[in-house]
Amino acid sequence: MKVKLFIIFIILNLSVSLVRAQDEVGISVRLDRDTIGLDEQAVLEVVLSGTDQNLPAPQLPTLPMFEVYSQGRSSNISIVNGQINSSISYRYMLLPSKSGVFPIDNISVVYKNKRYKGEPVELTVLDRGVATSPQLEDSAVDTGGKSRDYFLQAVVDKKNPYVGEQVTLTLKFYIAVRYYGQPELQEPSTTGFWTEVLGNSTPYFQKLNNRQYKVIERKYALFPTQTGELTVGQAIITTSVASQTRRRRDPFGLDLDDFFGRGEEVTIRSNPVSLNVKPLPTEGRPADFTGTIGNFGIVATPDKTSVEVNQPVTVTIKINGTGNIKSVAEPIIPDLSDFRIYKASSNEKTAILGEEMGGTKIYEEVFIPRKPGSLEIPSLGFNFFDPKSSRYRTLKTKPITINVRQAEGYAVSPDVPYGQSGVVIGKDATDIRFIKTDIGELTPQGRLVILTPLYLFVNGLFVAVFAGLLVWRLRREKLSGDIGYARSRQASKMAHKRLARARSLVRVDKAGKFYAEISLALLAYIADKLNISPHGLTSDRVVELLQEKKADESLVRDTVNLLRQCDFARFAPASVKQADIDRALEEARQIMVKMEGVRFV
Amino acid sequence: MSKPFLITLSFLLILSCSSGVPVADIDSNFQQANQLFQDKEYAQAISSYQNILDKGTESAPLYFNLGNAYFKDGDLGRAILYYLKAQRLDPSDNDITANLEFARQFTSIQMEGVKLNPISTFFESLVGPYRLNTLAWLSSFFFILFFILLSLRYGFGFKNGPLRVGTTVVLILLLVSSWMTSFKYRHDYLTQRAVIVAEECPVYSGPYEQSDIELEAAPGLVVEILAESGEYYNVLFENKRRGWIKKDLIAAI
Repeated sequence: MKVKLFIIFIILNLSVSLVRAQDEVGISVRLDRDTIGLDEQAVLEVVLSGTDQNLPAPQLPTLPMFEVYSQGRSSNISIVNGQINSSISYRYMLLPSKSGVFPIDNISVVYKNKRYKGEPVELTVLDRGVATSPQLEDSAVDTGGKSRDYFLQAVVDKKNPYVGEQVTLTLKFYIAVRYYGQPELQEPSTTGFWTEVLGNSTPYFQKLNNRQYKVIERKYALFPTQTGELTVGQAIITTSVASQTRRRRDPFGLDLDDFFGRGEEVTIRSNPVSLNVKPLPTEGRPADFTGTIGNFGIVATPDKTSVEVNQPVTVTIKINGTGNIKSVAEPIIPDLSDFRIYKASSNEKTAILGEEMGGTKIYEEVFIPRKPGSLEIPSLGFNFFDPKSSRYRTLKTKPITINVRQAEGYAVSPDVPYGQSGVVIGKDATDIRFIKTDIGELTPQGRLVILTPLYLFVNGLFVAVFAGLLVWRLRREKLSGDIGYARSRQASKMAHKRLARARSLVRVDKAGKFYAEISLALLAYIADKLNISPHGLTSDRVVELLQEKKADESLVRDTVNLLRQCDFARFAPASVKQADIDRALEEARQIMVKMEGVRFV
Repeated sequence: MSKPFLITLSFLLILSCSSGVPVADIDSNFQQANQLFQDKEYAQAISSYQNILDKGTESAPLYFNLGNAYFKDGDLGRAILYYLKAQRLDPSDNDITANLEFARQFTSIQMEGVKLNPISTFFESLVGPYRLNTLAWLSSFFFILFFILLSLRYGFGFKNGPLRVGTTVVLILLLVSSWMTSFKYRHDYLTQRAVIVAEECPVYSGPYEQSDIELEAAPGLVVEILAESGEYYNVLFENKRRGWIKKDLIAAI
């Protein structure tokens, strides 16, 4: 048992180390230019790639003919299908000290005890700058023979391209004086071209007429869309440069312009460039040529090669390479009796490969086999014009064989018109269900209940009924509510008026009238408070009403006593004394005060 | 109630119920078309069913039988179109659902990669089995009940616990049923859906003949019409792909 486990352990270990051994390190070496002048410099780039994110730095051989400065590193990590790929790029600046042809070999990296070597490259150093053609040196000098501080050059890599062939336009901005901020560029007009910006290169220095210029390059890919004479217009750079003429200096000798970053605003124009665009040759042009120009490859891959009848196979046709990817036409698919063919999708991705535009175009076509057996999707043709070799080329994909099985399941009834080749379906039905014999409920076409007048009427009716009821109820409540409220509010005011009149009669000789007034005031007050008619209101009825409204018992008793006293006094005024009159007035007042505090509902 | 009011009411009732075509006539036409179908004269059956439709009436069985006739005649796109029309009128009919599913198996491209929104799928399954008219009358019923209860409470001043609870319950039922009605209405009628009926149907990237062909659609696929421009509809496929299709290649449900 233990031995077995041990063996498994060893096998596992081995397999792990085998997997490890597979992850290799790629190393590529590149120079930005292969020929430089003695007073120029080249940039050497070493790119390491692998699955490990911690790759060691490359080892450079001794380069006695150059001064080597490291320009730092940049890394890039990508994850594709769970696989981590990391690439690290190291940049070195090489300054030559001697002219000649120098091979740069033996750049290597040691990873996991293995040495990986890069391809050798060669750098030619000339006595005088390569790019310093007499023409360029001329443009560095103005008409007066004075050296220019700055100038802008437009250069194309070919003057005589084919229509649709890429022309690389390079804008070079030379500047020998200090400038402030980011120079602003107005792109050149490129009518008659399809234009794509390739990007800016890192600035470098170049000596012209013994003056050190900083050079900033910007590259464009131009695709002529018509033949004949075409012109790339002027590019304009606006920037602010250190003024040479008017330089302010303060008394302490500090350069104020430099210090504050001010300068003179200048506009720099490039030279227009003319091109003569050739038409494509007629000789050797395939009959089905669609106008694709560049250099491409084509691959067709099916997503599966073994399917059941009527199951789709998606074939991905991938065309990639350099050239105007937008001009790539769909490959011609012949009519095939064995398949039904549908176009599923297409998409394109442009990419910049070095200085060339390129990209990938992907077409997806769905092939649905009609019958079982070994069916073949024949090779698909694709042609294009290759401007580099000035020839038309035709590529063909490999034929794809698809193994088509008869599906398992129920065969469709022969009555179904779609089952020509024995379509099989998974359901337990072999045909549609039979027609209905009853026509069912017939309605006018497109009629919806929610839009019929009846529906709206029925629903609206009840809203109207409710609204009517509500209005009626509110009106009734308002009317009854308002009178009662008004009367009860007026009650104490009226009563006080009456009491005041009674007070003026507080004399024995007018006792009859006094008591009548008191009685009236009290009854009217109660009637108003209760919102009832004061007519025919007797003391007995008052008791009843007050008890009904749940008034305080002592209040009821006092009220009734006073009313009785009033009645008695009105009919026998002679027996009334002045003290009785005063007390009655006081009592009436107190009853009203008490009643004021009672809420009669 | 006043006399003009009663007249208006009866007029509205008549207006909403009558179809204007003698039913007996239609029924005999329908039976004739059915006989043609049984005799496997599918093309003739189609024109007979269409004649009935031309009179301005519709019914679920009529659309269903027409769909069957198209299916047997080899026109998958229109078969699916009429099954869908039938299903909209009667979503609970098993025969319609079965034939629709059966026919859809023959659409040469099955839409893959369909990502359905779980919430809207849930709502669709909720309202799916009901007809729009049923839902409309149901919400109307709760609406009327709600207003009767409101009238009792505010119009006549009845106030008690059960009435208050009853009003709340009816209000909730009303909200649920009217929401279902509006969902169904939006889903079935306001969203313009169409079926591809042409045998070959290129889907363009723009509403012009010169536009790139994005893909080719197969008859029987259902699309949603989003916009129109000239002779083209902008359509959304069930797998969420978009494109422009010539108007005469599709038929609205």
